[in-house]
Amino acid sequence: MSERRSIDNGATSTELSSPLPAPAVEAPTRKEPPPEKPSDIRRRSYIILSFWLIVLLLGLPIWWKTTTIYRANLPLNEMLDWADGKACRPVFPLRISIQADALQEQEAQTLLRLTQHALDDLNDFAGHHLRLQLSPPAQGDSREYDHDTALIIRLKPGGSTTANLDPYLPVLDITYPPNTIPSATSSSSSLATYVASQLRSTFAEEQAIISYLLSNNSIPSDYRPAGLTPEAAESLSKRTTRSLKYAPTYHLSFSLFTSGPIPTSWDIEAAIDEYMKPVLDVLSPIHNFTIDTQVQLYATPGVQNQVLNKEDLSSFVNAAEWPLSPSIGGAPTINFIVFVGNQTIAVPGENKVATSPSWLIPQWGTIYLLSLPYDTTHVSAQTLKQPLLTFTSHLLSLTGTPQSGSLPLRLSTLARIRSADLLLRASSTLGSLARLALALPSISIPSSVADGVSKTMHHLRLACDTLGGPEGLAHARIAEAEAERAFFEKSMVGQLYFPDEHKLAVYIPLLGPVGVPLVMGLLNEIRAWRKRRREKAEKGAAKKKE
Amino acid sequence: MRQFLSSILLPCLSLAALAPSTALGTSTSDYHEQLVLRPLPLSSLLASFNFRSNTTLSAFEAHNFQLFPRSLGQILQHAGTRELHLRFNLGRWDAESWGARPWDGAREGGTGVELWAWLDAETDEEADQKWLILTNALSGLFCASLNFIDGTRTTRPAMSFQPEGDHRNSTAANTHLLYGVLPHEVVCTENLTPFLKLLPCKGKAGIASLLDGHKLFDASWQSMAIDVRPVCPTQGECVLEIEQTIDMVLDIERSKRPRGNPIPRPPPSYELNCDKSKPYSADDTCFPADYAASQEWSLQTVFGKVMKGTCPLTDPSVLPVCLQVPESRTVFISNGAVEKKDPNMEQRCFEVPAEADFEMILPRPEGQQELKSQEEMQAQDLIKPETPLLYAERSFTGHGQERGGVQTILKNPSPDTEVEFIYMESLPWFMRIYTHTIEARIDGHPGKHNSLIQQVYYRPAVDRARGTQLELRMRVPPSSTVFLTYDFEKSILRYTEYPPDANRGFDVAAAVITILNPNNTDGKFAAYNLRTTSLLLNLPTPDFSMPYNVIIFTSTAIALAFGGMFNILVRRFVAADEGPQFNIAGLKSKLKAKFGKVAQKLDKGAVPNKVPDEKSDGARVVSGDSEKK
Repeated sequence: MSERRSIDNGATSTELSSPLPAPAVEAPTRKEPPPEKPSDIRRRSYIILSFWLIVLLLGLPIWWKTTTIYRANLPLNEMLDWADGKACRPVFPLRISIQADALQEQEAQTLLRLTQHALDDLNDFAGHHLRLQLSPPAQGDSREYDHDTALIIRLKPGGSTTANLDPYLPVLDITYPPNTIPSATSSSSSLATYVASQLRSTFAEEQAIISYLLSNNSIPSDYRPAGLTPEAAESLSKRTTRSLKYAPTYHLSFSLFTSGPIPTSWDIEAAIDEYMKPVLDVLSPIHNFTIDTQVQLYATPGVQNQVLNKEDLSSFVNAAEWPLSPSIGGAPTINFIVFVGNQTIAVPGENKVATSPSWLIPQWGTIYLLSLPYDTTHVSAQTLKQPLLTFTSHLLSLTGTPQSGSLPLRLSTLARIRSADLLLRASSTLGSLARLALALPSISIPSSVADGVSKTMHHLRLACDTLGGPEGLAHARIAEAEAERAFFEKSMVGQLYFPDEHKLAVYIPLLGPVGVPLVMGLLNEIRAWRKRRREKAEKGAAKKKE
Repeated sequence: MRQFLSSILLPCLSLAALAPSTALGTSTSDYHEQLVLRPLPLSSLLASFNFRSNTTLSAFEAHNFQLFPRSLGQILQHAGTRELHLRFNLGRWDAESWGARPWDGAREGGTGVELWAWLDAETDEEADQKWLILTNALSGLFCASLNFIDGTRTTRPAMSFQPEGDHRNSTAANTHLLYGVLPHEVVCTENLTPFLKLLPCKGKAGIASLLDGHKLFDASWQSMAIDVRPVCPTQGECVLEIEQTIDMVLDIERSKRPRGNPIPRPPPSYELNCDKSKPYSADDTCFPADYAASQEWSLQTVFGKVMKGTCPLTDPSVLPVCLQVPESRTVFISNGAVEKKDPNMEQRCFEVPAEADFEMILPRPEGQQELKSQEEMQAQDLIKPETPLLYAERSFTGHGQERGGVQTILKNPSPDTEVEFIYMESLPWFMRIYTHTIEARIDGHPGKHNSLIQQVYYRPAVDRARGTQLELRMRVPPSSTVFLTYDFEKSILRYTEYPPDANRGFDVAAAVITILNPNNTDGKFAAYNLRTTSLLLNLPTPDFSMPYNVIIFTSTAIALAFGGMFNILVRRFVAADEGPQFNIAGLKSKLKAKFGKVAQKLDKGAVPNKVPDEKSDGARVVSGDSEKK
């Protein structure tokens, strides 16, 4: 149609055959404008071209530049790899050295080899690996304990096979009857099996916790240990929910609450120094602690029953009235409350009163009900002994310390668990960030986030390589902090919302009136150009014919 | 590992000896509280609650809190605060009828919230940072919008404030005074609750048990103050003192309204208090008597509850409740309480039993005769209010949206003493003052008296960064009235800077007037403090649909200009009869043909259409260049 019409247009108007009478009558009165100069036609083409060039080369880039949201490049695939556990295979190599001063070098080597075999046979979890080594004979008792070694086994000849964990040092004393020493050629030994099973039971809890942590994250199943019974998993999940998120510093807040006007003072400083300080010092390589204390009178508990049931315990803390505001600064607060009152706790199931009038509130702290004589105005340090010992043991479980084994072993285990935990946490934060960036195409990603991500990945890599050691914990700590900072970047949270209607309302008034003349001008120009070309071709054809 | 061992063993051995010495001792004088009740003219009652507790600086620094509130203590430590003053204020003190302010005005602020503190910092930037921490933390603690005290609302007064506490000279050099004010803040119950939580006895016992949000915020004027300052006695250890003060002026008439039925209703005619001295006074006509001081009231009616014993921590030598009425008036108190008259001051105090409720009734004075003049009755029933050292009133002058003026009327009532004071204004940045227009005039004496202004400290505003700070040291001669005036210009804010209720106006903080202690007796810097009322400034307010209008308007202008220009550039101009034809008939027929075509299509469906081309004329309307060579 249009092709035909333009051909018609191409013909002079006088030749136009119109079926209607009116234009036919007027047509003869019309004059033709004089022919246009070719320079004018060219100039017009240049004008239109330059307008379009300005729009396309200047306008569009400026518009694009000013309206795009800055999104820093994030290594999304790598981040997701970390979150899925593909980037790091958490391995905890534990070095265990054997001191066997009474044995010959050869015998000791054989024992070592056999025990390692037995261990490898027992172990079903590749991530948690016990590696034995022989330590040189001791020079008396003044041995420097190497911090890289998780445990030292002291083998001593004795009457029977016994194992004993040293309460203050990471040392396992094993005595053996002389006849159980394996010969250089034997392929099995009861002593080796015994040592292996002892080691395994010592590290069983750590293994269970770490495998629980890994199984709760999206670590591929082939790295995961199989043997975790549902009951064990449940008790571990209870313990992990109870413990606080890792922080380098915890703030301990000790409060004495009483529902009446007395007692008004307590010897808390002395009591803390005496009963709690030793444990805090022991924990100091992993956590720092700041302490404050307060006395609050006329504090009514949320529940005023004489016998507290299990349901009452959760509402006992009167959060609206008790001034338990968390400390300022970054450190999470652990609350230890001594409540003066003679209420008792009913143990469910049995018709008995609990032995310890205290309970632990997960991730929050502990409440201890202290029953005092009616007219006590001052609580002595001696009275506070039992509450503080309770608080201390609860503090350990709030920080996530494992329950079995000797204290130094528990602490070194805690360091390893924490580094695994932090590693997994940082990885999953990275994954969330990557998913967020993918899910919200209009969210801006400032370069500080990209920096944070690259730092996190760097430290995660380092942490993964040195897992189990003290540097591992330090790197995991940095990685976790950086990941959190990147995820909670302030400028990302304040996302501007521009609905499409809004954009339309702003663009249409400008682009409509400007765009229509531009587009129409271009279309006309193209049409005229095509017509000219065709005429030229026709002319050429006509000339040829002649 | 050996470190572990020693750290476990050592404390255990040494602690047995240490334990007794580190015990926290409390002497009873570390806390006291007192309520002073003072009937005022016009049936008002001033109730001043004062709570003061101490903690030794060593216990404070060791984070052991006993009487000092932990929540506040932590904030002070975190923000490095040496001294803190926080004020919540509501209403206006009617100095003309109520006289001098309680505590000589030292425990009150301007309407809204006022905060000033001495912070420990090496540099100004560090001080600003700590100030930010302090305001944000206090904002959370007191449920007030203190976090809105930003750079534009913060000043560093040069002359008006002096620390109240004892600061060691070594630390004084590094302390910075910052002052912030929020005149727009409405003080309410949510600020009282955290205030009461800071008290050792909460609101459960002692005079604090009388405090109730409904009554407090129904008062004609009320002020809550928190002052924290270090105090070093001549001997003994330095202590950190926290003083919490609540002052309120209750309208007895209004307080007596039943709580369940608070809507005021006209009283029956026999209850009306009529001025019988008027000649037209009769059974059916009543001229209301404005003097109603001699109302009967009790703690129960005024505060809505009775006092629940005393706080056991309080210093027994300070009597908890005092009443300031002439000696001639009788007071009924509940059983067990003991009245103790103070011979020097016209005040009597009451010893309250520790565990029992305490109630006090002040009956209507006896022998009240209608024949007596009101002044006489007032003198008989009330202690005459003290005349304040200075009356101050501030208001806006001028009209229009562009300029305005501020006029402060300062009146010295004393017949023989000159008053010297510091007048401080902290104005928002959008109120640009012209300093050359600052002038002082004395009422009754024509001409300027700029010699009354002795010293000017002026820190100009920076747009959107800080407000104007103006401090004038000036004096008012005896028994004269001085007008202090200056002009200002209102600036236009950015669209997003207007609050949601922009047409309400912008609050301008109260001016702080600190009357200097002439001889610096008893070590006090200020003899009297007062604040003017805050002002409401009307700024030119735009129509808030403006941005879209602007978009449409500029777009239209651009489109017009562009379309015209582009067409002129691109089109070819020909004579009228040479141009392409356009007529109605042609268009009509064309449309008809089009519609006919559509109708045909609809009718016959599959019939192929062969419509003759009729568009030849119209198609050339837009094409200015479709010319044949």
